[in-house]
Amino acid sequence: MAASVSGLLKPWTPRVLLVRWSRYNPYYLEPEVRKEAYSRPESELSPEEKEQRQLKTLRPIKAAPNAVTSSAFDNPVLSKFINMMMKDGNKVLAREIMMQTLENIKKKQVEKYHKAADGTKEEIECNPYAIFHQALENCKPVVGLASIQKGGKYYQVPIPLTDNRRRFFAMKWMITECRENKHRRTHMYEKLSQELLAAFEKEGNVIKKKHEMHKMAEANRAYAHYRWW
Amino acid sequence: MAANCVRFAASLLGKGVNGASPTNPVTLQLYRQICGTSALRRKNLAAAGPEKFTPEFIQKQIEEFEIGKRHLANMMGEDPENFNQEDIDRSIAYLFPSGLFEKKARPLMKHPDEIFPKQRAVQWGPDRRPFHFLFYTGKQSYYSLMHELYGKVLNIEKHQDRLRAKGLFSTETKQISLGTSRWLTKEELEELLVETISTHDYDRFIQLMERMLSMAYSSLEEEFILRHRQQLEAQTMHQVVPPLQKDDKGVDFSTAEGKRKTSKSSVVVRDGGSGSITINGEDYLHYFPVLQDREQLMFPLQFTGLLGRFDLECTVSGGGRSSQAGALRLAISRALLSFVSEGEGEAMRQAGLLTPDPRVRERKKPGQEGARRKFTWKKR
Repeated sequence: MAASVSGLLKPWTPRVLLVRWSRYNPYYLEPEVRKEAYSRPESELSPEEKEQRQLKTLRPIKAAPNAVTSSAFDNPVLSKFINMMMKDGNKVLAREIMMQTLENIKKKQVEKYHKAADGTKEEIECNPYAIFHQALENCKPVVGLASIQKGGKYYQVPIPLTDNRRRFFAMKWMITECRENKHRRTHMYEKLSQELLAAFEKEGNVIKKKHEMHKMAEANRAYAHYRWW
Repeated sequence: MAANCVRFAASLLGKGVNGASPTNPVTLQLYRQICGTSALRRKNLAAAGPEKFTPEFIQKQIEEFEIGKRHLANMMGEDPENFNQEDIDRSIAYLFPSGLFEKKARPLMKHPDEIFPKQRAVQWGPDRRPFHFLFYTGKQSYYSLMHELYGKVLNIEKHQDRLRAKGLFSTETKQISLGTSRWLTKEELEELLVETISTHDYDRFIQLMERMLSMAYSSLEEEFILRHRQQLEAQTMHQVVPPLQKDDKGVDFSTAEGKRKTSKSSVVVRDGGSGSITINGEDYLHYFPVLQDREQLMFPLQFTGLLGRFDLECTVSGGGRSSQAGALRLAISRALLSFVSEGEGEAMRQAGLLTPDPRVRERKKPGQEGARRKFTWKKR
């Protein structure tokens, strides 16, 4: 903490420039955008949450990012996926592709719904957001591989993955799959919607990739003790 | 060739002369030839350390400042009695306008206590013996503080032992209410002691203070502890709420400004009722064809739940579409503060709506292609 609080509230450049630094002083806390977090009464909170609330009243808070709102339609996973699909900062195009994908998914599901027999109608999921989330969940690997050097050779060692890492893999595989393994004439949104629906049913190339990763981890199980963390 | 002045040093031999007695001292003067250049006699400015000011000098400066303040007040035609520092700054800026960018290089008139660094008075008496018993440690204030602190720790322990002997020791005693306070930082402690301390010393000090706090009967020395803690004030105190004005038709409105990157915006929020938004004379649907920007405009209104209630008249200039949307969002949040209660205002601050985004374009550096991108590395 610096000597004067007013010095902390200004835009900041660290004295020794690190490779990864931000214009915010490390004193600042992350913003909490969802409305529900502020309507919870005191009684529902655990001691840590109470302490956190106390801390938030005393410390300055960073500005909310541009792509984030408090509305019900804001989806952090979807925003992350759009950012990963974005090329050269063209967010408009990436978002457009995503919206077309979701529309496409909805169309296909509604077609299936109308064609289905009466008994099976309830099982068909029509909400494209639910399909997107479930498809990503199905694509997430459980274990990953790390390249660890031991005795001059590099071994692929199975390691547990954090949630963020698993989500990253699922999204990365989905996007690379849709960019590369498609016919020249098919649009991105078309291919994406096909892959997402396939992943929802636990079929398709992305699921195959996940299974390959698991098989490799299983095959290299003998080296698991090389992990030291 | 530098002129070699030959100086003669005279020395008095006080002893070693046979037959000399206190009543009839025989003084023998011997002269020694000292040859040297003017370069040798030049003062070593670096070795002298920071400039030292005598208390008399500072006192004279203060008197001159007071007299100068009165003259300045008379010059500006204002009351010399109630002439405070803001008036001084204003008058100096008026009489000596300066276009210099470096604020510290501009003409300045402040009380000498703020200009001259705080120094300690001379620490020894006319007999050249130091006053303080810890003078020869080099850091007398720090060590005397630690000594005092440890004395208090022992005091508390003695008290606890006495109670234990009587059987009245209990852990549920009155604890010191620290509230929301923190220990003084190293800089603040240095200011308190008028002496520099190292980080190691500071850590030791904090360790001992924490140890004293952890003891059960630390409330005995409450006043001493609180003297070394700084109160943390809630951030809501810093919030500036724009005033709520009423226009001719009796409609409440408030104005606010916002900035983001190079965009500047100004917003007038009226308590009309239809929820229309005009930006630079155009409808917001035409000005921001992208959904993300419109979402940013709606964000503060949706967060406070006042979507359809206000009419917004906005002007924005500079920057790109995203930074204009960000500037407008900040301006709308600030304007809404005057319509919304304090608790809601605090919620808005914690949601990150009221902080101006400090991220700006990073400059390109020489020897690199861009801000971060380096030139292609070629092996040969």
